[in-house]
Amino acid sequence: MSRCAQICAVGLVLLCQQALAEGLVEKQVNPDTGLVSWKAQGDALELEFIQVLPDYVRAVYSSRGLPGEIVDKVSGYCVFGTILHNRSEGPVAYRVADWRYITPDGERHRIRTKSEWVQEWRDMGVAFRWSMLPDDQTFEVGDWGQGFTTIDLSPGSRFDLEYSWRVNDKSFTRTIKWVECAPDEAPLH
Amino acid sequence: MKHRFTRRRSGVAGLPAALLLFALSAAAVAEEGLSHSFARIDPPRSVPDFSLPDMDGEMHALQDYRGKVVLINFWATWCPPCRREMPALEQLYRKLGDQPFAVLAINQWEDADHVFAYMGDLNVFPSFPILFDPESRVSAEFGVKGLPTSFLLDRQGRVVFRAVGGRAFDHPEVEQTIRSLLAAE
Repeated sequence: MSRCAQICAVGLVLLCQQALAEGLVEKQVNPDTGLVSWKAQGDALELEFIQVLPDYVRAVYSSRGLPGEIVDKVSGYCVFGTILHNRSEGPVAYRVADWRYITPDGERHRIRTKSEWVQEWRDMGVAFRWSMLPDDQTFEVGDWGQGFTTIDLSPGSRFDLEYSWRVNDKSFTRTIKWVECAPDEAPLH
Repeated sequence: MKHRFTRRRSGVAGLPAALLLFALSAAAVAEEGLSHSFARIDPPRSVPDFSLPDMDGEMHALQDYRGKVVLINFWATWCPPCRREMPALEQLYRKLGDQPFAVLAINQWEDADHVFAYMGDLNVFPSFPILFDPESRVSAEFGVKGLPTSFLLDRQGRVVFRAVGGRAFDHPEVEQTIRSLLAAE
């Protein structure tokens, strides 16, 4: 595709995304890669969900010196860079075990947690415990965190993400509709 | 002050991937400034002593720093906000260099060769100790769940403040917080 056509395609996608935007979920396309991110704002817990290519996942884990078995398994998942911010004036807590992804057939699925990954790696004799989004955290004012979230779907799959958080004793839930796994390769090269 | 980067090292394995990951999330992180708030730990919490090697293999025990205010920063090269924190940490450390104040930047999982190459790429050569926690035992004892996470210890060696996520260590309020700890008995 020519550079001009690529720019036109990105512009078209951006226009469509404005129409698709729901509530305070902002959908953006990286103009360099064509990869998509979703940012849900306006709540005590702000969430940004960023598509990550399987090759990027491979590169990250390979360069940490992790065994090929681990590299292959993680990169076989649909991976998102996830950034969470406490945007409130008090503590905010989340627990990945409470989150669900909902496939187009209506099925609700739990998300594989960091603890499950770390336990599997430990069983293989690998002590690495970083890169995945922590299972649960209580963010104080100004705190934030990031990590990979792994969804057991193939590249390009679509789903709704339901995530939740707690402020004091009150629970909140939000759904980001029509999230899409990264493709096998970057849409723009 | 002894320069911690006295030995020339080689090895850049991992840097491309670190930069890839940086590219993925840098836009999101870089668009906004890092916060500067620290959460007070009340009551102050005691922490286990540890002894870790620095870039040159010299051991540093936490108890050696008793009597000083200590900023402990858990980090890794692949962590985008860690990359942003490092220059500000150096700036803060130099600014308070005449005070009983120490910074211990504890790297997770990586080795000295990797970190040396990273610092060259970053063009920051910290004058505070970079320590290595390859099995992440110390970070686990501190209850660190994600990187970066930082702790401020008072002169009695107790954790009094914690910050989860990247911070702007060159912000005046951070310096003010540390000075208040320095002034306390």
